[in-house]
Amino acid sequence: MSEMVVGSEPAGQNGVMRILGKIATNFWLRRILKMLFITWIVISIIFFVVRLMPGSPTDVLVQELMVTRGLAYDEALNQAAQLIGIKLDEPIMNQYFNYMGNLLKGDLGKSYRNTTNTVVGMISERLPWTLFSVGISLIVSFIIGVTLGMIIAYRRNTWLDHLLTSLSAVLDAIPGYLTAILVFVLLGVVLKWVPISMMRGSRSPGIEPGLTWEFISDIFMHLAVPGLVYVLATVGNWMLRMKSNTLSTLGEDYVTVARARGLPDSQIITSYVGRNASLPVVTNLAISLGVLMGGSILIENIFTYQGIGLLLLSAVNSRDYPLMQGVFIVTTLAVIIANFLADLLYGWLDPRTRIPGGNQ
Amino acid sequence: MSEKPISGNAVLSVRNLTIEYRARRGKVQAVRNVSFDVQRGEVLALIGESGSGKTTVSLGLVQLLPGNASITAGKIVYQRRDSATGQLKITSVLELKPSELRAFRWAECAMVFQSALNALNPVLKISEQFGDTAAAHGYLHGKALAERSADLLKLVRLDPDRVWKAYPHELSGGMRQRVLIALSLLLEPQLIIMDEPTTALDILTQRNIMDVLNALRKQLDFSLIFISHDLSLAAELADRVATMYAGIIVELSSVHTIFMNPHHPYTIGLINAVPTLAGTKDELVSIPGQPPDLIDLPTGCKFHPRCPLVEERCRREEPPLEDIAPNHSVACWRWRDARSALKAYEVKTQ
Amino acid sequence: MNSFRRIATPEEGQQSLHSSFWVEAGKTFRILLRNRSGFIGLVLLVSMVVITFLGPLFIKAEDSADVTMIYKGPSWEHVLGTDYSGRDNLIQLVYGGQDIMIVAFLTGIITTVVAVIIGSFSAFVGGWVDSLLMEIVNIWLTVPHFPLLAVVAVLVKLDSPWLLAMLLSFLGWAGQARMVRAQVLTLRRREYVEAAVGLGMGTPHILFRELLPNMMSFILISLVFAMTSAIYQQTGLVFLGLVPFSSANWGVMLSMAYARGAMYQPDAAWNLLTPVAAIALFELSLVLFSRSLDELFNPRLRTEV
Repeated sequence: MSEMVVGSEPAGQNGVMRILGKIATNFWLRRILKMLFITWIVISIIFFVVRLMPGSPTDVLVQELMVTRGLAYDEALNQAAQLIGIKLDEPIMNQYFNYMGNLLKGDLGKSYRNTTNTVVGMISERLPWTLFSVGISLIVSFIIGVTLGMIIAYRRNTWLDHLLTSLSAVLDAIPGYLTAILVFVLLGVVLKWVPISMMRGSRSPGIEPGLTWEFISDIFMHLAVPGLVYVLATVGNWMLRMKSNTLSTLGEDYVTVARARGLPDSQIITSYVGRNASLPVVTNLAISLGVLMGGSILIENIFTYQGIGLLLLSAVNSRDYPLMQGVFIVTTLAVIIANFLADLLYGWLDPRTRIPGGNQ
Repeated sequence: MSEKPISGNAVLSVRNLTIEYRARRGKVQAVRNVSFDVQRGEVLALIGESGSGKTTVSLGLVQLLPGNASITAGKIVYQRRDSATGQLKITSVLELKPSELRAFRWAECAMVFQSALNALNPVLKISEQFGDTAAAHGYLHGKALAERSADLLKLVRLDPDRVWKAYPHELSGGMRQRVLIALSLLLEPQLIIMDEPTTALDILTQRNIMDVLNALRKQLDFSLIFISHDLSLAAELADRVATMYAGIIVELSSVHTIFMNPHHPYTIGLINAVPTLAGTKDELVSIPGQPPDLIDLPTGCKFHPRCPLVEERCRREEPPLEDIAPNHSVACWRWRDARSALKAYEVKTQ
Repeated sequence: MNSFRRIATPEEGQQSLHSSFWVEAGKTFRILLRNRSGFIGLVLLVSMVVITFLGPLFIKAEDSADVTMIYKGPSWEHVLGTDYSGRDNLIQLVYGGQDIMIVAFLTGIITTVVAVIIGSFSAFVGGWVDSLLMEIVNIWLTVPHFPLLAVVAVLVKLDSPWLLAMLLSFLGWAGQARMVRAQVLTLRRREYVEAAVGLGMGTPHILFRELLPNMMSFILISLVFAMTSAIYQQTGLVFLGLVPFSSANWGVMLSMAYARGAMYQPDAAWNLLTPVAAIALFELSLVLFSRSLDELFNPRLRTEV
């Protein structure tokens, strides 16, 4: 992607044109705009997918009310409309604009089920837990996977290589939630190494949240097993990718030349092989975050971990549309931001992608 | 075969070097019993087709052979005369320990590989790569290093300001090759090996590099082993030329003799195959046939399947590399009449 | 006797640039057999498919529940134990694979076909079409797949395998398409393709004789990968109870057991873990099999000269 940095603004242009011109030429501004554009498109798609699907929330709610409270259809309809609090008979485009308008104000609506709670409130209560668990697991998994991957690339065809490669293949193949069940049953029920209470929930009830050692150690203990599962589910992938990348890099000319130059092995491993081999892997960080957040809906279920995965599941089960949409948007936004950050990181690490003469 | 003694003026002395590769089909005999010397300040050209063993020899000299290759016989002796004391320091390269080998590489003998396009770490600036090299050998650093490097870069006709802070991908192929040459001179090695330094480059850049090398030769004191398949380049630069075929040296002589008075049919064929500007287009000549399979070599002289002068003896016995004159060795049974026989043959088939 | 004077002929210069499809296929097969883990994967895969589709012909299904045999461990009568209503686990396993395999296979095929078409078209045409398609792919990949699947699954009735397969493919083609495009771009720059273009061979020729045969292994790996994703996604959906149960399959077995709290009861372990093992084994066999394909595809991973 070549850029030409415009030297000075053309004379006689007004402020808007100058801004537009600046946007067109600044690489990073363009990226941010693209991000916002994608976000908007995704939000809109989600909105229309959810609203236009058969089985609208009112119908479901009306049915429920009729069954559970024995109301007539009209009464049920009124009550439902009140409970949900939106004018459902408005044309869809009006609903869309309302929604977008609210969105910009930071309002994601209210939950259908618990109309006292705002979606934003519910999400912000749960989101940190998911980010905490997924984030830490991702970093741990990355570090272990990349390091081991390089080691087995260097120790190719030794017993270690065969062992770890097979293990990675197996772990990678088994879906994460199955690993979760296996680990849960193995550790908690069969071997009884971990008390079940430690594998349920994100923290123990009764401990006040705060910067106390008690609280912090508690949440880490509750993170241990779900975190282990996240790591097991992803570490194989990192290891195998890194092994493949390292093997390719080892065959590159500059590594042989580095040896010919008499550079010490330790330096070759880090600056010459390591940095170049891990470049392609960095782009996977953002994708992994997306995958893990997507998988959280399953794993948090199994460990009853109070994150947004579990929230989404209950929203889906209760057809709570605003909540569903809200969680979805937040998850997607997180992935988009992660992608952006990963690109930044990659640009910093790989000088070949830096725009010559542009802003870094 | 008796071993030739090493002269005090030789920088490098190779005796009976034999290198094999392990392949699925069998053992590839890449280098077989190769012996030669490199004198101080001389340029020795190793010429041959691909598969002749020339690159393998050079890799063997710095012990950078790939994992499936092994040096099964031979000695590589490197000599350096201490300028202060006049003492001769002798190193047997094949017996060096890993840490000694690392110190030896680049500081005593620098190898510039074929295709420098990817020879530099893409994520490090040129300055950092010079820095890494210098630091690994306890050489200069900081400003002193920058100044010395700038001098070297100017020697290879590069602008230090443009190149020093640049990344490899910001430089053209020719520039990268010249950076590599400058880097090879950094530690003031006695011996530099260049494997096809201009093959991957266009003809103008090639010309540039050859000019640079010629200039360097005159200005600095180092020995050079120049490996190529291109005889004309060798003619420009070399003092002595060795032609290699199927893992052995078949002719070794001064550059003048090689071109004016070659005695091995292969060498003669190579020289005849170089097209001249003055020749007509239907005079294009090549040596018919193909290089032999190095796993399953023919008996006797390995060139005999392609040689127009082949006799019974050639099929049975491999000719040794013999001295036929003070600075001229040939490995051919028919070296005495090779030139005249081939000339007569040409006349007959015209 | 040949002399040194000879002129190279044009016929000699024009060597065959492409290897025929069958030569490639033969090479492929031989390398498949060479890799040990790949071979194991292939054997496992074939066995499981055979058992799943032919097993029901030989083993009778068990309909009645046997209250006395709830959650029993392995015994001679019930080799893999029993479930929450006393039914034999092994029989359920034998019967339980069909849906999963069919959906996986269908999804794999559809996803791969779509991905190959769009990916290679995009790579070949280039220009703004390529950029546009890739932006669409990016958007597709940004939305987390599984949650979206979960949402759509409750909104749409997914009772036939075809429908489920199409939904999964609809979401999954993007990633594959991007990889296919990258592969085509790399191959396109290889000399033999440039040579074919230079020799004036038409686009269909280039596509079918030059590019596709060399992409066969890659396409096969893509197919296997699509299948593994499909298995993960469909069993996940069933596990969460978001897909109406059409018939008993491994995912249903798992979901039933889980819903009854089997995770917390040591006795129920066999009931819970046997479908887990079945799903995991099937995935594993696919992955192992693709490993030998991978070695085929990336020659640098091969250990022999």
